[in-house]
Formats: sequence, C-alpha cells, structure tokens
Amino acid sequence: MGKKRKVILPPDLPPEVADNDIEVSDEDLEFIGQNREYAGFLTKLDTKSIDRHVKRVAGHESDDLEALYEQRKRKASLLKQNDDDDKLQVDPVDALPVKTLDGKLEYRTVDRTKSEAITNEKDNTEENEKDMSVVKLTKKEKRLKIKKSRKEAKKEAKVEEKGNVGVEKLHTEVLAKVEEDLSAEELFRKKKIKLAEIGLQLLENPEENIKSLKELLKNCDDGNQNIVKLGLMSLLAVFKDIIPGYRIRLPTEKEMEMTVSKAVLKQRFYESTLLNSYKAYLAKLIAMEKKPSLRQVAVRCLASLLDAVPHFNYRENILAIVIKNISSPDDTIRKLCCNATKSIFLNEGKHGGEATFEAVRLIAQQVKIYECQLHPDSIEVLSSLTFDEDIGKPDTQAEAVKIKKKGKWKTPDGSNKLQGSEKKKTRQESLAKTREEVTADFKSVSFAPDSRERKRMQSETLSAVFEIYFRILKHSTDSHASRSTTDAASFSHGSSSLPLLAPCLKGLGKFSHLIDLDFMGDLMRCLKQLAGYSDHGTIQNPLSVSERLQCCIVAFRVMRNNLEALNIDLQDFFVQLYNLLLEYRPDRDQGEVLAEALKIMLCEGKQHDMQRAAAFIKRLATFSLSYGSAEAMAALVTLKHLLQKNSKCRNLLENDAGGGSLSGLVSKYQPDATDPNLSGALGSVLWELSLLTKHYNSSISSMAASIMSMGSVNPAQSQVFLSTASPLQAFRDSSILCELSKPTSKSATSRQKQRELQKDYVLMDPEVMQNGNLVDEDEVRRKLEDRFAVHKVITENERLRKELNHTLSSISLYEEYNRQKKQKRKRTTKRVLGD
Amino acid sequence: MAKKMGRRARKFAKKNLQSVMKRKRKLNALFQKKFAPRQEKSDSPEESKNLKNDMQTPVDPEQEILDGIVSTNPFGDLFIKEDDDSGADVSDSDGYLSEDPECPYISEDEEESCPEEMCKDVVLLEQNTEINQRLKNQKRKLSKLCKKDPQFSKFLESRRSEFLKSKSEEIYSDDEGDTSSMDDEYIVGNEISQVSKVITSSTVDVWCWLVMEQPNWPGLANLLNAFRAACHYGLDTGEVSPVKIANREVFCKILTFVLSEAKGIFCGLLRISGFSNKETILKMKNKPEWKTTRSLIKSFLRSSLFLLNQETDNQILVFVLSQIRLSILLFSAFPSLTKKLIKISIHLWVTGDKDLSASSFLILRDIASEFSLDNIDTCLTKGFGAFIANSKFMKPQNIEHIEFLENSVVELYSLDIQKSYQKVLMSVQQLASILRLALKTKEKDELKKIHSWQYINCISLWVKFVSCNYKNHDLQQLLFLIIGVIKGIAHLFPGPRYLPLRFKCVKMLNQLSFSSGVFIPVESLLFDCLEIRGTNNAEGTKLKHLDLALLLKVPNQLLKSQDFQQASVLSAIKLLAEHLSQWCYHVSFPDLATIPLILLKRFHENTSIESVRRPVKRFIDQVQQNSDFIQRKRDQVSFSPKDKESVDSFLQLEKCDRSAAFTKFYDNMLQNALA
Repeated sequence: MGKKRKVILPPDLPPEVADNDIEVSDEDLEFIGQNREYAGFLTKLDTKSIDRHVKRVAGHESDDLEALYEQRKRKASLLKQNDDDDKLQVDPVDALPVKTLDGKLEYRTVDRTKSEAITNEKDNTEENEKDMSVVKLTKKEKRLKIKKSRKEAKKEAKVEEKGNVGVEKLHTEVLAKVEEDLSAEELFRKKKIKLAEIGLQLLENPEENIKSLKELLKNCDDGNQNIVKLGLMSLLAVFKDIIPGYRIRLPTEKEMEMTVSKAVLKQRFYESTLLNSYKAYLAKLIAMEKKPSLRQVAVRCLASLLDAVPHFNYRENILAIVIKNISSPDDTIRKLCCNATKSIFLNEGKHGGEATFEAVRLIAQQVKIYECQLHPDSIEVLSSLTFDEDIGKPDTQAEAVKIKKKGKWKTPDGSNKLQGSEKKKTRQESLAKTREEVTADFKSVSFAPDSRERKRMQSETLSAVFEIYFRILKHSTDSHASRSTTDAASFSHGSSSLPLLAPCLKGLGKFSHLIDLDFMGDLMRCLKQLAGYSDHGTIQNPLSVSERLQCCIVAFRVMRNNLEALNIDLQDFFVQLYNLLLEYRPDRDQGEVLAEALKIMLCEGKQHDMQRAAAFIKRLATFSLSYGSAEAMAALVTLKHLLQKNSKCRNLLENDAGGGSLSGLVSKYQPDATDPNLSGALGSVLWELSLLTKHYNSSISSMAASIMSMGSVNPAQSQVFLSTASPLQAFRDSSILCELSKPTSKSATSRQKQRELQKDYVLMDPEVMQNGNLVDEDEVRRKLEDRFAVHKVITENERLRKELNHTLSSISLYEEYNRQKKQKRKRTTKRVLGD
Repeated sequence: MAKKMGRRARKFAKKNLQSVMKRKRKLNALFQKKFAPRQEKSDSPEESKNLKNDMQTPVDPEQEILDGIVSTNPFGDLFIKEDDDSGADVSDSDGYLSEDPECPYISEDEEESCPEEMCKDVVLLEQNTEINQRLKNQKRKLSKLCKKDPQFSKFLESRRSEFLKSKSEEIYSDDEGDTSSMDDEYIVGNEISQVSKVITSSTVDVWCWLVMEQPNWPGLANLLNAFRAACHYGLDTGEVSPVKIANREVFCKILTFVLSEAKGIFCGLLRISGFSNKETILKMKNKPEWKTTRSLIKSFLRSSLFLLNQETDNQILVFVLSQIRLSILLFSAFPSLTKKLIKISIHLWVTGDKDLSASSFLILRDIASEFSLDNIDTCLTKGFGAFIANSKFMKPQNIEHIEFLENSVVELYSLDIQKSYQKVLMSVQQLASILRLALKTKEKDELKKIHSWQYINCISLWVKFVSCNYKNHDLQQLLFLIIGVIKGIAHLFPGPRYLPLRFKCVKMLNQLSFSSGVFIPVESLLFDCLEIRGTNNAEGTKLKHLDLALLLKVPNQLLKSQDFQQASVLSAIKLLAEHLSQWCYHVSFPDLATIPLILLKRFHENTSIESVRRPVKRFIDQVQQNSDFIQRKRDQVSFSPKDKESVDSFLQLEKCDRSAAFTKFYDNMLQNALA
C-alpha cells in the first residue's frame, strides 16, 4: 500500500501547483525532487514501514505548501480567520499520516478524522490501522520508528527552511507575516493533534494513561478559546467513556494505612486520579459557565455529563448548575438544560431516583428565589416525571405522610370524611398491614432494598413537585389580588405576568390523581379564586380565559379522582363556566380548552341539578348562535348530552304554556343572569335551534335538527342515540382547516334552470350604463380637429427638419468637396511637376 | 410596416419633440399596461396557474412596465400578432382598397387656410417657423455654393445617390423581412406622392351625399380609404396614402360620418334591416352581396381599431366605441379582429376613466353575450385577469373604479352561469388552497399572499357573483366554499391590527347570508373590537378621517389612537346591525341578540371614549326594543321550534311591510352612512 501511495502522490502535486502559483512551482518541483531522493534513501534503510513514512512526509509537505499558498493568497486576512481556514484545511490533512513521534499517534489522528466522516480516506486509514497494529506489537520496531521519526523531523525542518528560503527569495516583504501565520497555525494544529492523541490514548488504555487527564486539563487553560473548547469537548468524550458504572468512594485514612495488593493500589491510584481530574474538570466547567463566551460549551458539557453519568460523584454540583440555567434567556442553553433534566426524570434507572428528587428540589428553590418569574419551560419539565401508580395507594401514602408531616394523617382521620367508605378503608388498611409485613420479610431475605426506598423517593419528589405547584398557585392568587386592587387599567394577558401558571395548571391536571387529600381544600380555594369571576368584567382578572378554564378543568379533574373522599361544592366553578362562555373569543383563546372544559364539567360526571342543566342548555344554544362552527359544534354536542341525561329539560324544546310551572324561583328567563341557578332557563324555549337549522354548516344544521327532534321521541328510546362524539372531538372535526379541506368536487350539479343566456343586468343599473354612453358630438368634433391640427404640425415639423438636415449635410459636404478638389489639384500639380 | 413607421416616428419625436415624446410615453405606458395582463390569458387551466403565479409573485408593476418597454415594441407586437393569428384573413392585406377611378374629386384651393391659429401647441409652431427660417437660409447658402461651383452640384448628386444606397442597405441589415417591400415602397411612394389625391371638404360632402343616396355607389371604397387615411393620420408619415386630407374639417367630417353612418351603409349594402342577432350575420355570409362588401367592411373595422389603438383622448374613444358598438356584430365575421377588439376594449376598460370604462365594458358585454363561445371565454378570462392585475392597490381615487370593474366582471360572468361556474369554482378553490397552505404553515410569505388586496378583491368579487346569482342558480357548493375561505381569513389574522380585514370579511359574510338566506354567525368576529383598549392619550396622532375601507392592516402608530378605536367600534356596530337586521323578524331574534347585548352593555359601562357612547347606547336600545317586540310576539304563539313551517311564517307580514322599528333604524343608519 505504501507503494501505491507513492505512485499516486507525485502526479497529484504538479497540477495543483500550476493552478495556484506558477512562481513557486519551480521550487515545489524541486522539493518533490528532493523528497524523492529522501524517499529513495529511506526505502533503502527500511523497506516495510518506511514506505509509509516517506509517503507521510511527502503528504505532509505538500499540505504545508498548500497552506503556504493559501496563506499567501490571504495575506491581508486576519490571523484568526487564518486559523479558522486552517482548521478546515487541516482536517483533511489529518486524514493523511502526519509527522509524529511514533506510529501510534499517527494512527489515532487518522482514526479520529475517520470518525469525522471523510469517507474517501477510509480505505487508507483501514490499511493504516492494520499496519499500526502490526507495528505496535514489537518494541523493537517501535524504537526504530522513533529514531526514524526523529530523523524525519529534522529532515522536515530542513525542508521547511528551504521552503521558507524559497519564499524569501520571491516575497521577502510578506515573509514575516507568513511565518507568523504559519507558526500560529502550526501551533494550533499541533495542540489539536496533541489533544486528539492524548484523548485516544486515554480511551484505549485508561488504566495506563490516566495521568494524561491532567495534561488534557492543562490544555483547557489555553489562551485560544478554540483550543479550550476542543479540550473541554474531548475531556467530555473521555469522561463519558471511562467513568465507571459506580460511584467512587475514596479510601479512608484507615484503609490507606492497610497494606493491600499491588492491583488494589493501582486501582486506588487510578480511581483517585480519575476523581480528582473529574473534580478539576467540573470546577473548570463551573468557572467557565460564568464567562459569557464559553457558557454555551460549558453548559453543553455539563448537560451531557448529567445525561450520561448521573450516578457518578459530584452529581449535585452539576445538577445545581444545570437547574440554575433551566430558565436561561438563551434558547439553546435552556433547551440543553431542560432536556438534561428531562432525561434525569425519564431514566431513573441510571441513578435510582435520587437525582430526580434533587432536581425537583432545586427547581423548587429556583421558583422560590425568583418568585415564580421563570421561563415556563422550567416548570414544563416536571410533566415528564413519572410516578408509580401505587404511590397514591394508602400504604405508601401513609408512609409518605409519616415521613413528611408526621401526625397529620392520623389526626384528621377517616371519621369526618370517609363515612361512606370507612369499611373499605379499614379493610384496605389491614390488607396493607399484612402486605407490609410480607414485604419486610421479603426485603430481609432478598438483596434488593429498593421498593420501599423507591417509594419514599417518589413520594418525596411528589411532595416537592406539589410544593412547586402550590407555590405558583399561591403566588398567582396573591398577585391577582394585589393587581385587582392596584391597577385595573393596565390590562395585560396573564401569561406574561404569571409565566408559570399555564404549565403549572397543566401539571396539576396531569398529577391530579396523586394530590394529597390534605392539600385538597387549599387547592380548591386557590383554583376558585383564580378562576373567579367578578361582576365587574374581565378587566380585574389578569388571567386569560384559557387559564381560567384550565383552572376549572383542574378542579374537576381533582374532584373526579377523589370523588369518594371529598364533597366540595363545585357550584362556583359552574358559575364561572357559565360566564366564561361569554368571555371566550375564538381566535384569542384556545378553543380546545373550552371544549375540554365542556366535556369534563358538563358531559362527564354526575347528574346535574335541573335548573343548572337547563341554564347551561340555554346558554350553550345561545352561544352557538354567535360563535363559529367549531365552537358551536362543541356546544351543541354538549347540549345534546345534557338533554339526554336530563329528560325533563327536554321541555325546553316544546313551547308549552306549562313550561313555566317547572321553573322554580325565577319564572321568567333572565338571559343576563350570572348565576345559572337564577336564570330561570327552565321557562324558556330553545328557539335558537330553528335558526341553527339554517346554519351554513350542514353538520351544525343537521345537529340542530336532530336535537329538535329529541323532544318528540319518548325518553326511553332516546337513549339509543347517545352520541359518542365528545365536544373536543367535535371541535377538532369542524375546525376551519377541516372545513376548508372538505371536497367540493360535486361542482357539476349546477341547477339547469336557465340554459339561455341571461340578458339582464344583475348588478348595474342598465339605464345608467346607457346614459353614460352619450357623448357630446360637438366636443368630439372639436377634439378631432385639434388632433388633426397637432398631427399636421408634427408632420410639418418632421418634414422641415428632414429638409434642413439634408441641406445642412449638403453644405458640410462642400468642404469635403473642396478638400478633394485640392488633393486632385495637388496631385495634378505634382504630376505636372514630376513630369 | 406599421412597425417601421412607428419606429421612425418615435425616433424623430425623441430627437426633436419633447412634448410629443411625453404624449407617446403616456401612450406607451398604456400599451404596457395592456400587455401586462395579456400574459395571463388563454385557457382556463393555464389561467388558474397564472392566477397562482400572479398571487405568488406580486410583480412590481413598474418593473413590469419597464420590462415591457425593453422587450416589446408595443405597436409592432400588436400588429405582428394580428398577422399571425388571422389564418383566414391573411389573404386580404391591410392596405388601401382599390378605388373607383371615376369618383369625383373636386379640387379647391382651400388647403389648410390657417392651421396655426387652431393649433394650441405654440411651442411646436414656433419651432416650425424657426426651422423654416433656418431652412431658407441654409438653402440660400447651398444654392450660392452651387452657383459658385457648378461641379459641386454634380458631386452632391453622386453623394446623395451613394447615401441612399447605403441607407437602403442599412435598412436591409436592420430588418430583413421588410426590406423588399420597403424598397419598393420607397420608389413607389416617390412616384405616387405626386399622384395622391387631395380630398377637399366639398369632395367629402359630395361623397357623403352620394353614399347616402345610392347604397351601391362604388366610390364607397374611396371614402373608406379616406377614412383609413384619417385614422392613420399623423402616425405613419412615411407611408404614402393615395389620398391626402386637405384640412381639419375634412378630417373631422370623414371620421364622424363614416363612424356614425357605417351601420346604415353596410346594412344597405347587404340589404338587411339591421344586425339584430348572430343569425342575421350567419345568413348574411351566404348572400352574394357579402363577397363584395366583405373587404369594405373589413377595411372599416380595421381602421376603426387602429384609431382606437392610437387615440388617447377619452371622449373621442368613447365616441368611437359607441359607434362601433352599433355595428358590433360585423366583427363576428372576422375572428381575428374580434380578438383585437377584445384586447383593446379590455385595456380601455381597465385603464380608462369612468365613461370610457363603461363604454368599453358595454362592448365586452356585447361580445360576451352575442358572439361565439370562444369569445366569451376570452372575455371572461381576460376580464378577470385584467381585474386581478389592476386590483393590487386600493387608494381613495381608484376605489370607485375598482368597484366598477368588479361589478363589470360580475356582469360578464353572470351572462352564462353554466360556463362561468367552472371558472369561478376553480378560482375559489385556488384561493382556498392558498389559504389552506397558509393555515398549515403559517409562514410569512403565505400570509402575505392572503393579506393582499389582490386576494381580498378576488374573494369579494366572487362573493358578489354568488350573491347576485344565488337566487336563480344552484351555487351551494360555491357558497360553502367561499364562506369557508372567508372564515379562514378571519381566523388567520386575529388581533386588533387586522380589524379592517376582519370587517371586510364580516361584510362579505353578511352579504352572502343576505342573498342566500343561510345563517352565518358573525357576532363573535366583532366582539374583539369591544375590548381594544388604547392609551387614551388625546394628543396622539390626530387624523382627519380614518377610512378603514382603505386598510387591511392598521399601522402601528394608529393602533392605540382613539380615532381608530372609535372607527372600529362604529364599524362593528354597523356590521352587527346589518347582521341583526337580517334576522330581526326571526323568532329567535332575542336569543341571537342576547350575547351581543350583554357585551355591548358592559362596553357601554366601561368605555372611556365618550364619542362612541351615544351611538352604542342607541344601538343597544334599538336591539333591546326589537328583542322585546319579538319576545312579546312569540309568547303569543303556540308552535314549537321544530315546527318549521310555522317558524318560517312567523311575522312574515311584518317582514314584508318592513314595519319593525329596527328595520327603520337600520335603514336610517344606511342613509346616514351614505350622506
């Protein structure tokens, strides 16, 4: 293979040189010639491996020259830029064998470049690799090679010198600059190569080369930021690879005193070095995190360390930094941190759940410190937490409560709350007790200590999560209260002043089944306050309609999951929903939230009070008269559900005189009442439906028609067509995009009513049209005459000009004529004279 | 040939006549405009594609014009095109008719008594006299030289002939196709120019009289030649006509007489009573007289078209158009001329002033309604294309014009619904697909496409079309599609900035709802503007008049101004009134008005803008009143909502009388808006 390269290389060079710079090409050729000489000399010395070296030298040199040309071309460009260029250029160079101290290193560089996906070099590198492995085997050869490479280094220096001399001759004035650039470039490249070398060494044999970590670390103090970045990244790669799957515990002094075997010593040394360097590395990262220019790299390293080795030592420090940056204004940093945190939450197997708890605790601290003014993403991450289903079950719950708040669970025990299910509860408790015993036994026998521990972890995490949520809620209600009293004028959407509320509500909705009963009361009060509807309109409430609807939804979710346990009056939430229907604005608020609220609050759950159901039916019907198809559809689906469930409300469909008898307190319908129970809707008639049947959207009109027909069908039968669609589904189905996508291919069905042309005007007034056509003929005449006159003058003008030009040119010709005449005369006189 | 003439004339003008140049430039611009839309013509699939292109690349109109100037010689292009597409008409050239040699010519010495007085272009006249003076001087000099040296005149003669030769060669290399004819003509022209007859006013009088007296008088050809010369007068100075027009009276007389009497003359020749419909023309084609008159008619039509092309004065154009229109059916015998006529009419319709636009529209409408299907197609597609190309900008000056154009397109499309339905449906689907893309991607470019006058005007055009024809035709599919598109637009641009656009959408929805009788809820689209809250600073930008009709997006500096808030609230109330007035006799009116009433009352309580309080209050009262009225009425009935017939007949009597207070209120409102 060496030969092959040798054959390939020389022809490669000349054309390139010719292309770039003719001046240097002589020298270049000269160099090549010299190289050939060298090559020949070397091959004599050693046949097998030297071939490669020769090639290497040649390749290297050519690259040098290339770089030189490149440099010369960009004399004016900045040094830094040169570096960058060089970086680009050097990469492919690395693919080729480079001048090194011994063969190993060379192979590594190649390997590294290979990973940078330079595919055309692959073959060569593979061959190289093979060769290397052969070479590595014998120490003798190694030594030989070192010698040779030294020689080569000398030789190269010479060559370089010569090259420079050549340059000097031709471009003395730029020499200094070029040299400077060259050295900087060289330095950078050398450093880079060194980094790669050490890194590969470490990866190959961490036990032997563990000390090199320090060397690598030293590199990170370099003045060049690029080098620092590279150093950090290569260290990251190394650590990710060599960090063991366990936590290192440094031996105590006692242990140190004990005599141990060599192997153990070695291991100890290895571990302590690793740990110390890791510590130093982390310290460096943490320090760099404070520098704006390096922050991104540092955070990237920390985040990927957290992702890769969350079990290892100093996790706490990493976590602290990552969580600190979780609501960074920088998008990439924030995303990195969020993703790292999420991966902590999702891959609990890596660290046994401790990190999860720590992370949540840290987030909680952040929330506390910044008084809820964080980026929503930082709370959003919590929703990727997972909890075991049985964490909420009595045994663990009891345990959790025991740990967190001792006694609280015991004192307000079942007596006042759980009358209905007391029996069940006690049975469960006894069951739990037996299970506890069993697990205790099992635990003592088995090796795994975890399931209990894990539950403890989880419940602690959970309580921390809820702590965050409640803090946010509390903050929201507080600021809400203060806002409503201070400045009502500056109306702003809640999302900006309370950035965390939306993700918080979402999270609460997700974990509603895990909420501790103790918190329930407070939570409900908070939600009620947040969703609160005041009679003075929307201005006082900084929360957006979507957020308030979300509050209602969360409240209902919580309630539904703990229905047996609690009996809180949800009437307030219904009142709010009833009024929020009026506040809803199609393109400002999220329609899906509304649809979900309708679904959870009205379609699901228990039977409604008849007054309330009637009020909602009426309001929904009115609502669908004013709002777009999607909202109307969701409302109508809900309305149908309500009518199906409350058969008595079907009276609303009929215009009986007796309808009023059902209405309780209020006999007449009050459309602008704020309380559904006081609206007197039972006395109304759903006239809306008759207008809705004229709705342009066919699905709405048919829905309205089907609702109208419900009244006539007897209640028992009507259960048959219990529609399965939920309001949410209906909302999505009739969104504008869906509506637009409906096929309209049936275009040919145009009614063949009038085959003939329609001669009448459809829009314009024919008389006006005809009158507009009258023209004053005299005026036209006058204008025509004008036109004639103008054209006449123009024609005249043109003619005159032509003639004038003609005469002028004739006159000018006269001079020429004279000249000719003179010449003739001269000629004739000459001739005469000549004669 | 005409190309040649035109170029020469322009060259001259450029060199010498600034004012004429200006005029020409205007003309050119007109032609460019005409040619711009022509590129988006022809068959329907292509049309839709072009429409799309048009939508996608909002071409800078100026750029377009520039391109036009660079790439095409408008005159030349026009004429070349004609020759290309007139397969059947190639045989007869656009030359003069062979004349009747015995035609009387009365020579009088009345040649141009004093044109100078009549001509208003003083500069030109002065220039003329000056040049004349110089010419005389130079001539004198030349003759002196010649006298001094007789050999020089010989030299001059030889030089001149050389020059002529080289010049003709130059022409030869210039444009090869024309040369032979050019050379011929040059010679012929030289010869004929002496022979060309001068037409004096008495000659014209005699001719006219003769033509009127004897329908078959052979001198008609002479008259038509004179007409042709008049039409071409001044623009093709290089061409030599067999007739020469003596003075402006003759010019005027020939044009007016031929244009206004053409119908009668040709009717007489063909022995028909008039061109009542297509059939007569078809019949006429088989008559023996047709052969003889064909060329005469063609010459007349050609000349008139030429005049239309050349003329820039609106009134003359209107006159010519109205006269052509009388005998428009003659065009149906000459498809290529018809195409030309369509082209010219569309151009004039789009660019002309009110009267001109109207009369060109009448021509178009006649063509579309009377002529063969091909022509309808061209009229529809070209008309639509021209409308789209011209609706890119809305300014106070052109709002009326665009409305007129819109109405005319609707008229044209309403002529044959069967035919136009497909086109309209395709166009609306095009719009819908653009919208769908925008809804999906929400990209800025896509949004821009929709948020343009072109798009909005196009939609509003089809809305008008649907609402005009919904009663007599089954346009349901189209209706639903358009409603979907409009709702999509409103959905795509939320927020107060786009309120004007939203108002437009609501207006269109109301229009559709009104004409089709379907219920389209629009109230929720208007509630937004009750919640705009400005900074309340009175010293902010004060505008005299904020016309939301001319805006699609409110400029940022106005967003917080009170003017804008006031204007938007008032517009919202107006649109709401429009919506409610449609259903003010419906049994469910009280329910329909419930939510708006609640919100308006709240707005009335909270608003800080004093100026809108009163109208809002008045509106609330009126709605409340009507609501109570319906409530009372429906309390008395016994039928249920599902009883469709009874519901439909509810208060029909009052509806026909328009007796309810709310109707009156609404009518009042409309009148106030107009006043």
